[in-house]
Amino acid sequence: MLRDGEIHAEQIWKRFRVDSRPSYFQDQLGRLVDTLRRRSSPGWRWALRDVNLRAEPGDSIGLIGANGAGKSTLLKILTRVMYPTAGGVRVAGRTGAMIEVRTGISPQLSGRENIYVTASLMGLRRKDAARRFDEIVEFAGLEHSVDRLVKFYSVGMQMRLGFGVAAFLEPDVLLVDEVLAVGDASFQHRCLERMRYVLNQGTTLVFVSHDLAAVEATCVNGMWLDGGTVRSVGPVREVLAEYRGAVEVDAEIRPRQDRPVNVVHAEVNAPDGLHTGGPLNIDLRFQSEVSRRASIHVGISEGTATPILLVEPGREMMLEPGETDVRCSIDPLPLPRGRYYVWVGAYRYTTHGEELVAWQPVTSFDLYGPELSTAPRGIVRLAPVHVASSWESSS
Amino acid sequence: MSTEATELDVRGTVLAEGTRDLPGPPPEIWFRRRHTLLGALRELRSYDELMLSLAERDLRTRYKQAGLGVAWAVLTPLLLMLAFTFVFTKFTRVDTHGAPYPLFSYLGLLPWTFFASSLSLGSTALTNNVSLLNKVYCPREVFPLSQIIIAAFDAVIATLVLIPLFPLLGYAPKLEVYYVPLLLLVLLAFVIGVTLAASITLIYMRDLRFAVPLILQFGIFVTPVAYNADVVANTPAKMMIYSTLNPLVPVIDGLRRCILYGEPPQWWPLFGGACTATFLMVAGFMIFKRLETGIADVA
Repeated sequence: MLRDGEIHAEQIWKRFRVDSRPSYFQDQLGRLVDTLRRRSSPGWRWALRDVNLRAEPGDSIGLIGANGAGKSTLLKILTRVMYPTAGGVRVAGRTGAMIEVRTGISPQLSGRENIYVTASLMGLRRKDAARRFDEIVEFAGLEHSVDRLVKFYSVGMQMRLGFGVAAFLEPDVLLVDEVLAVGDASFQHRCLERMRYVLNQGTTLVFVSHDLAAVEATCVNGMWLDGGTVRSVGPVREVLAEYRGAVEVDAEIRPRQDRPVNVVHAEVNAPDGLHTGGPLNIDLRFQSEVSRRASIHVGISEGTATPILLVEPGREMMLEPGETDVRCSIDPLPLPRGRYYVWVGAYRYTTHGEELVAWQPVTSFDLYGPELSTAPRGIVRLAPVHVASSWESSS
Repeated sequence: MSTEATELDVRGTVLAEGTRDLPGPPPEIWFRRRHTLLGALRELRSYDELMLSLAERDLRTRYKQAGLGVAWAVLTPLLLMLAFTFVFTKFTRVDTHGAPYPLFSYLGLLPWTFFASSLSLGSTALTNNVSLLNKVYCPREVFPLSQIIIAAFDAVIATLVLIPLFPLLGYAPKLEVYYVPLLLLVLLAFVIGVTLAASITLIYMRDLRFAVPLILQFGIFVTPVAYNADVVANTPAKMMIYSTLNPLVPVIDGLRRCILYGEPPQWWPLFGGACTATFLMVAGFMIFKRLETGIADVA
């Protein structure tokens, strides 16, 4: 017997038919005929292969992976919307899912009526929904429009209505799929706040998101799904580091060489090794056909996506015909250990300068040292870090 | 169903491009959903509120959009009754055993309309809510059943027409009305069974959607809605067969007997119809629960 909030999903396999035959019935009939004639049928596509997921009450697991890796399929299997092809799933206690539920909302009804329908769809009893009605309305920010017909709502309002109800389910297991893709900044913040509150109540959380920073801040454990199999599972930091590492391998650094100005060489070094809190030099070699006045910007990112750190200020300098070496020094470097990317962009030195070097990753480096002491557990979305810097240049 | 029926394919045959050479799961962990009839019913019981909410949602939506509102529920059987009355009293005669024809046909139309609208609404209940079925868990029979509630709501409103109809035609209902609930139980069992089976079948075979209106058009002629059951079955044995094959027969015949003629229903045909209806209900529910597992895969 499992305790409430425990998840035991063992050896989960899930397959889908390959859509070569339009309807399910035709597909099955075709397979039957194929079997009788001893021909091979169009096969199955495995969406999940031998996935195990275990959670104790109060655990928080972040599911990460590329599109089509099977994250949502796994989540659907946990919510019992879908059944696995093989394996066993047991989820103890009440399950609540924070998912996009706009589909259950009828435009012809008022917000109030829709809240009750959505609540009962999510398994909330009518009297519980009535008790929390005001809270739900406030959470969804619909105080002034609750009696309006939903067809006059904006898309964001409709989504907030659905999430508002989901947020007050108080389940033993909460499953969240891409909640951050919905709503404006303040609503996202409220959603995360609510998730954190629910976590503190001892709810088990399974969180699917492409927002790695939010996953890192919310979850203790991580699971990386790749092509339907578990690539890595463990403490969230380690899993994320591996995931980012793999994404970097995929996105090979190949600076473009066909512009008027090119980065022909990029290197990261330090006098006594690359350490957290130590100095860091970024050596860049630009090649230009003519003499140009350019402003150069450098950033550092953890994945290949948005930089987390921007070297400030950008540097204005002359690029002479031929090659120009530029060194950018950062001291101290306020980053934890890990693998980072250096991004470079250069623009003609005017107010809205024409692009000379497109903003792109040019090199990567490994930083050694302790992990930064973690901030109080909370949901922090990453912002670029601005640091002071000094520059010198030579030709 | 997708998982069990085609085990052979995975073990025996070549897999598709991309997944070629990837072995499937070991056969002993193949997923089989276990549930009992009683467990399923208990779960359904805990979702009664959802069933009502869905019915309420659809009713509210319908009446907010429609100018005539509730009148639509009355109009369908009423117009059919007028048409029947016109045809069957002007052109041919139907032996109603002395009862006014409008009442006679209306008592046939009420259960028929309930059945017809349950089936046509309920059979598309799952396909219309596919996106919801892919997101939220609930026992899936909630959707077709909520449509039956809607049809029942319409039927209750349509029944109110009888109140002015009796004095208008100068005919008094008989006191044997107390048999009616029994007849309605048989009707309900039949409707539930057929609707559940139809709705889950439609998920797997969408084209059947076009067959439902056809079946209903055909059905109104093989059911004694416009005529008396004894026209088709003039001996007790024939009546027994007719009723067992079509549980609507003893229901409609019974309604007429106890309301118009003051007789009890014919017990043996009713028993035959009740057996069929009960069988359909249990079988329909079990088929539904069995096929329910694959909804998210095919929808």
